Amino acid sequence: MHRAGQAMALALVASAILLLREAVRLPVAWTPTGPGSGFFPTVLAIGLAFNAILILLKSLQAAPAADRPFLPPGAWKPLLAAFLPMVAVVALIDYLGLYLGGGLYLAGYTRFVGRHRPVTIVLVSVVIPLALFLIFERWFLLLLPKGVILEYLLYRR
Amino acid sequence: MSVFSDLLYGLGVALTPVNMGVAVIGLVLGTAIGVLPGLGGTNGIALLLPLTFTLKPTSAIILLASVYWGAIFGGAITAILFNIPGEPWSVATTFDGYPLAKQGKPGVALTAAFTSSFIGALVSIVLFTFFAPPLADLALRFGPPENFAVFLLAFATFAGLGGGDPAKTILMTLLGLLLATVGFDIVTGQPRMHFGVVALQGGINFVVIAIGLFGLGEILLTVEEGLRLEGIRARLGFRDVWETWRLFPRYVTTLVRSTILGFWIGVLPGTGATPASFMSYGMARQFSKHPERFGRGEVEGVVAPETAAHAAGIGALLPMVTLGIPGSPTAAVMLAGFFIWGLNPGALLFKEQREFVWGLIGSMYTANLIGVLLVLTLVPVFAAINRIPFGILAPLIVIFSSIGAYATNNQILDLWLMLGAGVAGYLFKKLDYPLAPLVVALVLGDMTEQALRQSLIMGQGSPAIFFTRPIALLFVLASAVLFLLPAYRALRRARNPGGQAAAGAADRT
Repeated sequence: MHRAGQAMALALVASAILLLREAVRLPVAWTPTGPGSGFFPTVLAIGLAFNAILILLKSLQAAPAADRPFLPPGAWKPLLAAFLPMVAVVALIDYLGLYLGGGLYLAGYTRFVGRHRPVTIVLVSVVIPLALFLIFERWFLLLLPKGVILEYLLYRR
Repeated sequence: MSVFSDLLYGLGVALTPVNMGVAVIGLVLGTAIGVLPGLGGTNGIALLLPLTFTLKPTSAIILLASVYWGAIFGGAITAILFNIPGEPWSVATTFDGYPLAKQGKPGVALTAAFTSSFIGALVSIVLFTFFAPPLADLALRFGPPENFAVFLLAFATFAGLGGGDPAKTILMTLLGLLLATVGFDIVTGQPRMHFGVVALQGGINFVVIAIGLFGLGEILLTVEEGLRLEGIRARLGFRDVWETWRLFPRYVTTLVRSTILGFWIGVLPGTGATPASFMSYGMARQFSKHPERFGRGEVEGVVAPETAAHAAGIGALLPMVTLGIPGSPTAAVMLAGFFIWGLNPGALLFKEQREFVWGLIGSMYTANLIGVLLVLTLVPVFAAINRIPFGILAPLIVIFSSIGAYATNNQILDLWLMLGAGVAGYLFKKLDYPLAPLVVALVLGDMTEQALRQSLIMGQGSPAIFFTRPIALLFVLASAVLFLLPAYRALRRARNPGGQAAAGAADRT
């Protein structure tokens, strides 16, 4: 846990430096329209760096004896089983759209992670995307990503 | 006593069958809109606006206002059951609402949310009825320095907490403020802090970040904890409603404070229900005897933001009706309706359009009463959702999160941002970095910076402007006390050897 804490503090120090570099490229000092657009971000980034360094120093001092592992043994397995599909579904939505991509994800997750009965799998992965399609696209006219296949089927393009 | 006769007249208008019917339709639609992430009260009202041309202006405003009330009730449902905000102002409701649902008490959380929402609304409507003109005048006296001081106080309420490392809280606040600076500069219009990524020039929407941090981050934490595939045994029925109501006398101070705070934040132009809910949550935690219980399923943590959100929703209509200045984005859309219906908002509206103004005020009483009864009868139905096994619920949350994140700006990049925020949320939470200050800062960031820069322009570059205006000074001093509180506590602990051992133990966890 200490290692992870130190790594996080270090990452925060690095982000603060990156943000500061991006901020000082802007006008920081007083301009004809008051404080420049870089004034507020610069002040904030300096504050961020200061606090991150403080946390880093504190985490380096912490007693290593009382440490426990970042993950309980074996916990990485269910963690990845939830996380990797999450990444996959965003990629799927990008390419196949929310309705088809989302349906595939629901089917895959309930089948392989949830291990539900076939009836449940079909119900969840067909009925829910269909209901969402009707609600968003038809009734509320809020257009969500439809992906290449559905775009072709609906609009022939 | 002309106000009373006006009010009676307004209630009479609101109770006509047409207006009652319109209110019920609006409430049902609004609740549905509130439940669905990505569909907000603002776009719900914008979509319905063309439909109102066929109605009389009074019925039209009652319909739109009822959609707004419904959305405020509905946003809490998604927040509590799925841990994703159905509406921006229900982000703070997830902090304690979802932990309560996870403990098998979704009915308690829902009842607390609906009831406090209703109380906040009712008290605000009374304030609205009797004090509309003087309050509108007072709101106009709040300039940039006062607004900045209020925002400072909001951050301070989160920083000055008992538990946790104050450095981490301040760091998260600063990080949130920095994320808010990404995009176009609000004063000069210059794109900034986008690291050369064109899509980032539009800015980072806090809804996307909040959905990732809470919705996705929490799924990762839950699967790691091993609560994998079984549903939560939630108790169904109306017993939760009675039992939660019996708790309410305990929260009288919280209710009063949250209502006044929420109403006032709502009245101030340009703010609205979202900042109000966060500030109220922070205050409740600050004044609580058990701040450490917040974030782990404290009923008060649901009561405070919900009361303030609904109070602010009512408050936001006040400057709109009296001055023609919308108090929130949703009110701005409604204001567009005023012009379409051929009405001029402002002081004359009260005199010339008696039926419209008092019909609207009357309908606030009736519509909110119908609304709370409607959602309360549905508590067992909503609570049943909690029995869905986690193996189905988790992917559903991911799908709803994606809809919510995408719909805020209609760009796929936001889905990747949400995913990144999910990972960050998981890591932050595991390493004891508080998430709430980051979201609050991201919400208030633009307004804070604008207020700060305008104040500095008013003071010609001197920060003395915050100390020479009495209202601003009061808030600045209050924030200073809250910011220094952790330092004072640490100092006392250092002098007290028994306390030092306790502090050492706290550092190790």
